[in-house]
Amino acid sequence: MSEANGPKKRKMSLEKRHNLTGWAFLAPATIMIAIMSFWPMIQALILSFQTGKANNLEFGGLTNYIRMFKDKVFMTSLGNTFLYLIIQVPIMLVLALMLAQMLNNKDLRGKGIFRTAIFLPCATSLVSYAIIFRSLFGVDGFINSVLINLGILDKGYNFLGNAFSAKVVIIIALVWRWTGYNMVFYLAGLQNIEYSVYEAAKIDGASPMQTFFKITVPLLKPTIVMTAIMSTNGTLQLFDESVNLTKGGPGQTTLTMSHYIYDTVFKFVPTFGYASAMSFLIFIIVAILAFIQMKVGDKRD
Amino acid sequence: MKKKILATLLCVAMSATMLTGCGGGNNSGGDANSDANQNADEGNNAGTDETDPAPAEGETDTPSEEEGGEEGGTAEGGTAEGGNSLTVWCWDPAFNMYAMEEAAKVYQADHPDFNIDVVETPWDDIQTKLTTAATSNNYDTLPDIFLMQDNAFQKNVISYPDAFMDLTDSGIDFSQFAEAKTAYSVIDGKNYGVPFDNGAVVAAYRTDVLKEAGFTIDDFTDITWDEYIEKGKVVLEKTGKPLLSCQAGESDVIMMMMQSCGASLFNDEGKPAMVDNAELKKVMETYKALVDAGVLIEVNDWDQYVATLTNETVAGTINGCWIMASIQTAEDQSGKWGITNMPSLAGIDNATNYSNNGGSSWCITSNCKNPDLAKDFLASTFAGSVPFYETILPSSAAIATYLPAGDSDVYNEPAEFYGGDAVFAKIVEFAGKTPSNNTGVFYYEARNYIATAMQNVIGGGSIEDEIKAAQEQVEFTMQE
Amino acid sequence: MTKTKRFRVLMYIVLTIVSLISVFPLYWMLMASTNKSVDVSRGRMLPGTNFIENWKALFAQQNVKLAMFNSFKFAVILTLCALVICSLAGYGFEIYHDKHKDFVFSILLLGMMVPFVATMIPLFRMFTAVNLQNTTLGFILPTISTPFLIMMFRQNARAFPIDIIEAARIDGLNEVQIFFRMFVPTMKSTYAAAMTITFMNAWNNYLWPKVIMQGEDSLTMPMLVANLTEGYVTDYGVLMLAVLLCSLPTVIIFFLLQKSFAEGITGAVK
Repeated sequence: MSEANGPKKRKMSLEKRHNLTGWAFLAPATIMIAIMSFWPMIQALILSFQTGKANNLEFGGLTNYIRMFKDKVFMTSLGNTFLYLIIQVPIMLVLALMLAQMLNNKDLRGKGIFRTAIFLPCATSLVSYAIIFRSLFGVDGFINSVLINLGILDKGYNFLGNAFSAKVVIIIALVWRWTGYNMVFYLAGLQNIEYSVYEAAKIDGASPMQTFFKITVPLLKPTIVMTAIMSTNGTLQLFDESVNLTKGGPGQTTLTMSHYIYDTVFKFVPTFGYASAMSFLIFIIVAILAFIQMKVGDKRD
Repeated sequence: MKKKILATLLCVAMSATMLTGCGGGNNSGGDANSDANQNADEGNNAGTDETDPAPAEGETDTPSEEEGGEEGGTAEGGTAEGGNSLTVWCWDPAFNMYAMEEAAKVYQADHPDFNIDVVETPWDDIQTKLTTAATSNNYDTLPDIFLMQDNAFQKNVISYPDAFMDLTDSGIDFSQFAEAKTAYSVIDGKNYGVPFDNGAVVAAYRTDVLKEAGFTIDDFTDITWDEYIEKGKVVLEKTGKPLLSCQAGESDVIMMMMQSCGASLFNDEGKPAMVDNAELKKVMETYKALVDAGVLIEVNDWDQYVATLTNETVAGTINGCWIMASIQTAEDQSGKWGITNMPSLAGIDNATNYSNNGGSSWCITSNCKNPDLAKDFLASTFAGSVPFYETILPSSAAIATYLPAGDSDVYNEPAEFYGGDAVFAKIVEFAGKTPSNNTGVFYYEARNYIATAMQNVIGGGSIEDEIKAAQEQVEFTMQE
Repeated sequence: MTKTKRFRVLMYIVLTIVSLISVFPLYWMLMASTNKSVDVSRGRMLPGTNFIENWKALFAQQNVKLAMFNSFKFAVILTLCALVICSLAGYGFEIYHDKHKDFVFSILLLGMMVPFVATMIPLFRMFTAVNLQNTTLGFILPTISTPFLIMMFRQNARAFPIDIIEAARIDGLNEVQIFFRMFVPTMKSTYAAAMTITFMNAWNNYLWPKVIMQGEDSLTMPMLVANLTEGYVTDYGVLMLAVLLCSLPTVIIFFLLQKSFAEGITGAVK
């Protein structure tokens, strides 16, 4: 008994030490986030209970939170943003996963070129990408000429001038821009899977599809959860595409929440309290979705 | 173990070289850190007193003695502004930045110690910085002078009155400017801005295309929109070219039409006045008719709009006179363009053929440590020197709103590109005839929702309903 | 056999199509940078002869060298600091995980969920209060530790074999040594990916630097590009050249690092 007790005690203290080491490891980052994110967030939260224009703010309780549900434009932007989220995120993540799987193939030639090419869109400056997309989908743009030459259309269609097609263009643009970005995480994650697992699967006669669903997806689960949370967060805070591709139009049919919030602060007469309140709604939505994603996918086996 | 350590070292070294080995980053790594510190130190001084000679009281004739004295007292950490130096934010190197630098040269002739630091800052960024600084109650980060879009003047001055300096009694003679222009920067009877560039609306036409359709530019001078649509249909039929293009979702054309009859989206008390606004209704009907007739084509963004001009997709355009610079990039079209006034709204009282779109004015911030110098500088250049405007006109086409400059010979020079017409004098004349309008504090909100309403009307909505919806949304936004 | 062969051909076709679509804008930028503005706006997509003029015009109008230098300086410092701080944290959260740390982690995640527009002004107030405007520190501090990067390391650390740590402890390495000698080399692919992404984000950072940095000395490449799009006339040839110069560093870094994504976990450990 006494023999067993000794090591156990030492182990306990060791565990305690490891525990402390763990805290030490994560302390710098945590403190930084606390100062750089949480402190401003608390201030924004306080602001969200204040009403008024510019610097003439006064306490208004929940006024701002009630107000946003009466704000037709904000409600439209909420709907738009959710539509992007539901359609774009799954398409993009599946595509990124499939591309990563293909590019992880050891025998593939020109991997580096393919990888770099697919990564390119997110490294491309927003300015050029917006100009290019707008001109591609313009009435006399490239897409229309192709469709006319194929006999699908008689005359140029104004993709960005129609509510439905403008949303489609935004989704295409998002997928185009961020698939390569997510692929990077999957590629990095795939390296942590021993290649021999794939070899074994191959010998067992598994089809590429089977390999994908039975090996890649389960083993990449932590990374998939991460990209899902990141993409959810990114999409709900979507700003660039709405501003640069469609300016939220036609009407408010492609306007996103962040775009509207930005307008209320920097374009219109500033209403900071209201902008903060709307920001916190985004926060709450993202937090709930992320929580669900963590619960569903982030279990340690 | 050794192997592992070696691998680690290699790995660290690799990641280091990977970073530093890239492109021009070879001096990053270690150097970068020392740079960082250096920069941190420099940072506080940067942009303020780097080029300053010592505050020289008495050397200049500007009454800066007091200021200089105060400076010494309040200066802390290098944020002190020298007695002879001004920092300016504006955004177009070929245009307003150039004008500012020329103005500095003019001023330096009498004030050899005068110095100016022009920082290129896009308008959107100026607005962001202004809002951020003002909301934080920290004006220290603002420059002495910056250029403000006329449309944003009311909004910013009323929202942040502490950020700006009242220029009413600064010795600047505001009566020398076109009244419609100064009106943008007058709040509660006080002047806050020195008008700069002209946004007088011009109608530019491709005279060769008009000729093909059997018209001359005179057929488009002093006309109404109804006539414009009729003639536009003929041009479209004979040449296949619409007369006009504009950006969908932007309300420039609507606002130009509104101002041409002195109408506004707000009443004098600043309340939205869109519902039962006869002018607005007529404007939206006209716009709808233009689109229906195919005389006006909408494109999706600014680049495409410019492309319709340079690509010869359209036979003309109507916009602030600054659009001429973009038209002129198509050098091969020289001599094929003509300039005249815009159509007027038939059946509306006070309808004119003149309006305004865009333009900007200089303002002095409350952070300016040497307001007398800043005022004197603006008064003796932008608001007082005809030769200055003569200098900047040829190379920047910065057309003055300073009326005395319009009489200058330089403004009467014929412009080859526009068939030998003296376009500059014409524009100054247009500017003088432009009715002023009330932009109001909530101008951007109103503009935004009217643009939405217009798009919905084109999509089949009823004008009355859409105007009502727009007004409701603006009122919603305005509520405290 | 034929089935896998057919699959491989299909794979090449798919990858080629996807790559072409992805590369198209770069091609367009490249072509545009060799053309006159008016030809760009007219939709010309073939090589032109105006490259040298555009180059000269760009360098005459804008301080490209300064912008490049600043962007590199900020991006490199930020990337190095962020990688160290966040990988330490990610490692700490995963390897020593317990209920409390998992809880702290989920709280940290919340930090990225409020739109920046809302937190920017309080942050600005905070930074100007301690006089951090116009400093490198002011530029990098807000993004030096991001929940996203911590999460990336945390999730990837999950694949890190715990028995290696145990073995190393028995070998007498302390915890810090284990991190630097075992974890860092093993997670090379994660570091490479994180480095690329962080560098890219730092490089493209716009709104915050614009607010916190004044004066011409702090010009960065994205600011330079923004300067070119403002003004009454945009020279598209010059603009596209600038955009090209602004995009290239990230692409080059990706190209150089992507090999290490593929080298895998095994090499360094065994």
